[in-house]
Amino acid sequence: MKLPFELADPRGLWLLTGLVPLVVLYVLKVRRARVDVASTWLWASAQRDLLARSPFKRLVVQVPLLLQILALVLLALALSRPATRHRAIVGDHVAIVIDTSASMGTVEGPERTARITLAKRAATQAIHALSPGADAMILEAGRDARVVTSLDRDMRRLEEAIDKLAARDVEGDLGAAVALAVDRLRAVGGDRKILVFTDGALANPDGLRTASTPLEIFTVGEEVDNAAIVRVDVRAGTDGASHEEEVQAFAVLANFGKQPREVFVTLRLANIDDPLASRRLRLAPGERAPVVLTFKPTPGDRNKGLILELSPHDALSADDVAYARVPAGQKQPAVLASPKGSPWLERALRSDPLVDLSKGTPSEVAAAAVSDGALYVYDGVCPASAPAGDFLIVAPPAGTCLGIGVGKELDKPAITSWANGDPRLRFLTLDGVHIAKATALGVEGQAQSLVRGVSDTLVADASTPGRSGTIVGWDVGESDWPLKASFVLFMRNVVEVARSHRAQGATGPVHAGEPIRVPVPVDVRVAELLAPRAHGETTDPKPREVPAQAGLAVVSDALLAGHYLVSWKGAHPGSVLVPVNLTSERESDLKRRPLETVAGGAPVASVAKLADAHTDWSYAFALLTLLVVVVDAWWLTRAPKRPTRLAIPVAPPRPERRPA
Amino acid sequence: MSELLDPAFLRELEALRRRLEIRARSGAAGERASSRRGSSAEFQDHRPYAPGDDPRRIDWAVYARTGEPFLKLYRAEEDVVARLLVDASASMRFGTPSKLSVAQRLAAGVGYMALARMERAQLASMRDGDVRLASPQRGRGGVTGLLAALGALEASGTGDLARSVDRIVQRAARPGMLVLLSDFFDPGPVLSALRRARAAGHDVALVQIVAPEEEAPNLEGDLALVDAETGATLDITADAAAIDAYALRFAGLCEELRGFAHGYGATYVRVRTDDPLDAAVRRLVARSTDG
Repeated sequence: MKLPFELADPRGLWLLTGLVPLVVLYVLKVRRARVDVASTWLWASAQRDLLARSPFKRLVVQVPLLLQILALVLLALALSRPATRHRAIVGDHVAIVIDTSASMGTVEGPERTARITLAKRAATQAIHALSPGADAMILEAGRDARVVTSLDRDMRRLEEAIDKLAARDVEGDLGAAVALAVDRLRAVGGDRKILVFTDGALANPDGLRTASTPLEIFTVGEEVDNAAIVRVDVRAGTDGASHEEEVQAFAVLANFGKQPREVFVTLRLANIDDPLASRRLRLAPGERAPVVLTFKPTPGDRNKGLILELSPHDALSADDVAYARVPAGQKQPAVLASPKGSPWLERALRSDPLVDLSKGTPSEVAAAAVSDGALYVYDGVCPASAPAGDFLIVAPPAGTCLGIGVGKELDKPAITSWANGDPRLRFLTLDGVHIAKATALGVEGQAQSLVRGVSDTLVADASTPGRSGTIVGWDVGESDWPLKASFVLFMRNVVEVARSHRAQGATGPVHAGEPIRVPVPVDVRVAELLAPRAHGETTDPKPREVPAQAGLAVVSDALLAGHYLVSWKGAHPGSVLVPVNLTSERESDLKRRPLETVAGGAPVASVAKLADAHTDWSYAFALLTLLVVVVDAWWLTRAPKRPTRLAIPVAPPRPERRPA
Repeated sequence: MSELLDPAFLRELEALRRRLEIRARSGAAGERASSRRGSSAEFQDHRPYAPGDDPRRIDWAVYARTGEPFLKLYRAEEDVVARLLVDASASMRFGTPSKLSVAQRLAAGVGYMALARMERAQLASMRDGDVRLASPQRGRGGVTGLLAALGALEASGTGDLARSVDRIVQRAARPGMLVLLSDFFDPGPVLSALRRARAAGHDVALVQIVAPEEEAPNLEGDLALVDAETGATLDITADAAAIDAYALRFAGLCEELRGFAHGYGATYVRVRTDDPLDAAVRRLVARSTDG
């Protein structure tokens, strides 16, 4: 049965269960008071009259019950907030874009309702306000745009699609979602419209300007103050006083509110509540403040998760927590594999006191245990497969080395150019370096060429995703390069890149929504991922498989901030803990942008306008309930006609008598 | 004289007794001439004149000698019996004062008026369908005996007015005045019995005594009514509809009694227990038929 109105809060209908005890009260036999009277004769006659009445009259006797049932039903309806709709969404095809960026997780109001909840509620109202015959599609505007459901007329499916949406810890790109909606609607004819539900705290507001389809924006939430951790970096360092190794957590805090905030910044290990370090800060409105928290790690803390937390939490809790990993230690392991020894390379590596060098023949190195994040240096040989970490191969034998062709010999090649933007060649010059003999390296395009001769590549980039690989096409002993500072700088740069990879355990600092790229042994085909717990969940998610290819496992749907544990099995099993953060100043700044301007004049309204498009009949039903209750009370308490003197009607019925 | 007849009531009765008219025949001495022909007109007694007496019956010879007006009473004049039938069932104990006490005072009043006219008065109490007759009294000297018999009445037991009236009629050697004092809450064939009494020549006067709460019940809610006479209970919901239905039946009962009075030349007076008694006596003497 279709009601002529909608029930905004059907939970009120639970009150109808009260009908059962109400009816039971009427069914139960009444406990009667005993009253002595002179005679029951005339009362008996009256009672017979009442019992002998027609069914209609009997129904009149039950008027109080009927009134009470009516009052209960009306009250239940009043509590269910009945409303009729006045406003219709005009359009044959409507795309509903819902912002699921991190700011939509902001909770407001006395009921602590998340903005995403308000947006979903308004979107549901919108699909119910569609014109008859119109269809709608739902799009999610997170870091990437996603079509949740294509054009559909089934309200239930659309509602389910909306219901599945949740705020992600990502920097949103509403413009991309609107562009996707425009693109999808372009394929269909008729009247088209795009409805956008957002909190207006857009990280990338310019994207809305390009919409060519009629756009209507509905905003949720009010402007609220927010403080956030907008940058985090954790490194291994040395205590200046004790010269002991320590972990230094750098963070940048920002207060986007209009009021000063006093916050505590606490550093702790994941799954351990005891803080490692804590600071109290007072943030002026609009202030950005750096903070450094340090602690001395134990060997067991290496590679464990770190949590940096602001307290007390505010309306947006996703940016009050940042995740990091305890660095693996200051000393970078390096392995030098050379059949006959390599004094120049060894001397350059040992010049860095924070390098832990081990050496051996190539077979010895291959048989040795894999050191986590080690730099592999091969001199005069080429490994059969890429090692687990960064590598440097010097003077590889002729043939093919890890996909790079090692070709013709070059006599006294001149260095003509180098990629000074590459981290490995920073701060150095190769001018004046003379090479006696080298081999030309075959590369596919300029991208792989780090150092070039007149017509050949002398140093090639053999990097794969997740690891840095460098092949030098000459024996450094047959050049004057080791005598120059650029050689030491080059080796230091190679070590620093390896150190950076080792510290992060991944390709770089990961923001939520970005893919996580984890270097794994080349033979690994499947890795296992343990993602963080979703907001509001009380149990950890089940581990799931992540495909790995060419020594790289990629997690493409890391939409939540937290620690992601990627582990793998095989010949060289291992695991990496990858911290993922929101750390977005633009997303944490909850000030509302002037959407009218950025949206190219598209109408902007609060979702309250959608709600106002309803007429709420709760008060009317409540008044009706009150009226019925008053009538019922009057009926039950009305005074019978009690004449002070008996007024005999014209022909009253004679009382029944026994026969003579 | 007695708590049944206080001085004020007595004064009222003295004023009214002349107007008491009894429309029945008996065989004893009376102050009016008999309507039957051929009977004796022998002098029997004198009694002092009282206002309201027919001055034609003053014995002027005695007046000339004594200066006091006396009436002459003749043997041949009829004297009538005023039979005072008082309902003494349990239902008569209701009301404030009780219906029985009102009945006692009214019976005392009517009996006093009859005895003061040198007529006979006899009390009959009705209970459980039976009749208990007190000794008939005559003249003013019998007032004490009548009051004593009335004072001994108590309300208890059940009532069967029809049976009681029939018994009185059967026992009465000659017709007289039947003054029936009751609440008439009796489902029996009372009217049939009264018609038989009327046919036997009795002058019937019905005095219905009711309590105010019986005329307009002040009941509310779900009740179990307990019958004072039978002990039977009746479950009712005393809402407006039930009260209205009762009131209609009560009005029907009163109308039934009034109709009988109209149809059979009887007297019908309805008295509430909180009404002044002299007014009720005046209506009785005036032969009211409207209750």
